[in-house]
Amino acid sequence: MVCSCVEEIDFNQTKDFQIRPVLESSLIFFDEPANSFLDNGTEITVIQDFIIINFFNDEFIVDNLDKAEFKFETVNTINRAFELQVDLFNSNQLEHSFTIFQEASSNNSENSTSYIETFEGNTLQALKRTNVLVFTLRVLPGSPINDNTLGKINLKSLVAFYFKIGDNQ
Amino acid sequence: MLLFSWFVSSSQNKQILYGFSELPQALLLNPGGKITNDWFFGVPLLSHIHVKGGTSGATLFDIFADDGIDFNAKLQNAINRMDSKDFFSANQQLEVFSGGFAFGNAYEKNEYLSFGLYQELDFILYFPKDYAVLALEGNQNNINRVFNANDLSANAELISVFHLGYNKKVNKNFTFGVRGKIYSSILNLNSTKNRGTFRTVPGVNNFYDHIFDLDLQVRTSGIVSLDGDSGFEPKDLTKRILFGGNLGLGFDVGFTQLLNKQWQLSASLLDVGFIRHSKDIENNVLNGNYTFEGINPIFPETGSGQTADEYWSEIEEDFEDLFSIDKTTTKYTTWRPVKFNASLDYAFGEKVEETCNCTKEESGYLNAIGMQVFAMSRPKQPQVSLTAYYYRRLFEGLRAKATYTIDSYSFTNLGLGISAHFGSVNFYLMADNFLEYKNIYNAQSVSLQLGFNYIFNKNEN
Repeated sequence: MVCSCVEEIDFNQTKDFQIRPVLESSLIFFDEPANSFLDNGTEITVIQDFIIINFFNDEFIVDNLDKAEFKFETVNTINRAFELQVDLFNSNQLEHSFTIFQEASSNNSENSTSYIETFEGNTLQALKRTNVLVFTLRVLPGSPINDNTLGKINLKSLVAFYFKIGDNQ
Repeated sequence: MLLFSWFVSSSQNKQILYGFSELPQALLLNPGGKITNDWFFGVPLLSHIHVKGGTSGATLFDIFADDGIDFNAKLQNAINRMDSKDFFSANQQLEVFSGGFAFGNAYEKNEYLSFGLYQELDFILYFPKDYAVLALEGNQNNINRVFNANDLSANAELISVFHLGYNKKVNKNFTFGVRGKIYSSILNLNSTKNRGTFRTVPGVNNFYDHIFDLDLQVRTSGIVSLDGDSGFEPKDLTKRILFGGNLGLGFDVGFTQLLNKQWQLSASLLDVGFIRHSKDIENNVLNGNYTFEGINPIFPETGSGQTADEYWSEIEEDFEDLFSIDKTTTKYTTWRPVKFNASLDYAFGEKVEETCNCTKEESGYLNAIGMQVFAMSRPKQPQVSLTAYYYRRLFEGLRAKATYTIDSYSFTNLGLGISAHFGSVNFYLMADNFLEYKNIYNAQSVSLQLGFNYIFNKNEN
């Protein structure tokens, strides 16, 4: 009465298991008026700082990160051009560097730039070795900044991690 | 409202055994059930073997069918189709010993004591939908989506139960019974109190705010000591089975009411009880709130003199705090899943006695049909099922019951049970979901019960 038969199933299919989630995380930001670039009335043309970060060396990232994109968006209403240089170091060894250029805004209207730095292949390997990020913001030459200079510069950024988990062979 | 919003399943429904009054084990489903024997004892370790497994969601066949379709596509389909109320569950029981006897005045023994010890394994895991979606897709295409931490809900318990039941036939129409239970928990893993959310929303200062609000816990008892270093030995397990575990108390109640000669109503409430976990506890607790909007490394805290790296280190610490798991040994209480049964039964087809050509007063019908409802408390929502059945005495010493059950596992659950009596020896076998046996891997649930008893009947036949 009962037919205890089965249809074909194959548990070996688990070897094909692969998921490709994409995680996005906010990265760096700032939003500063022109007079932030003054120190006792003197113009600051270079601001530099760094962070030590072990996130990219994490075993899970090293094994499963397939691609990464750093996405930047700047909006400038100051009549000066800017550039943000991002250096990726493995301790003292420079692994990778890129620069985002933002034009001046001659009439204090919003002047915006989008920039995407993609890490794949060799650059992805460089990212996975990175443990220091150095940020250098330069105010490029132009009409001098004083207390009455109008405008502000705004930067937003995110990093998108494209994972490929499982079936890595 | 919840109760009837959907026919949700029944991992411990024993719809075939319920009301099967020739079997002493039916008393465990209704302590106020009808009793047809003078005394009995179960064959030790063989008197009641019960296994049931089921899923309200994807089956093995859905995911592992050898059909040439990409495995990941099948997996994705299964995940998309299931929601956080879908579950996987298993229940197993093994009676170690059992017995019972009638007592009362010599003329009519209308009271009955039954007792026994059984071991039970109960497991339920809800499908953690939001965790699966986050793992599968990430947050990029799920901005503003609220990922619920309470999608993770699971309970596993291995217990032994000693019970003593009293049944009294008050008059020819009304019987009631109660059963007291002592639970001894051997192992418990409980994660049913998870709260909180994770979401990514458009930010003010940066593209996104990532908002973590997490309150998760996995409570365990009896598991830490299984670690090889702690000197746990098999005899300790025996000790736990015999009241050496984390103890609890509970009760069952039930009744049977004859409405007239042919109609009968019965109901029972089982396992109203708790277990207090106070020994061998290890709880893992994750608790924290945090909003991350990225970092401002160039102008950190204007004027504070803090370097970007100091500022970043603080954020790293915040994250470590957020995701750090605290181990605690806080005692806790778990409630047993409460079960409710009720049935309405109509007997017909009077048996004609060959010897005296007369009909017997209460057990003289060969057939019965009826409806039974079963409900059970579960961490997220009650599980409910509805059964229609047909019971038949085939001939002397052989009874059968066929059932049709609707629940969240399926709408096509046919079950069949038989009970055979050879003198005092009784054997019974029950299984359901026969239609699914065509392809067992596609079965949403399967269950099996069998056992051997020695039963000494009242002089009824």
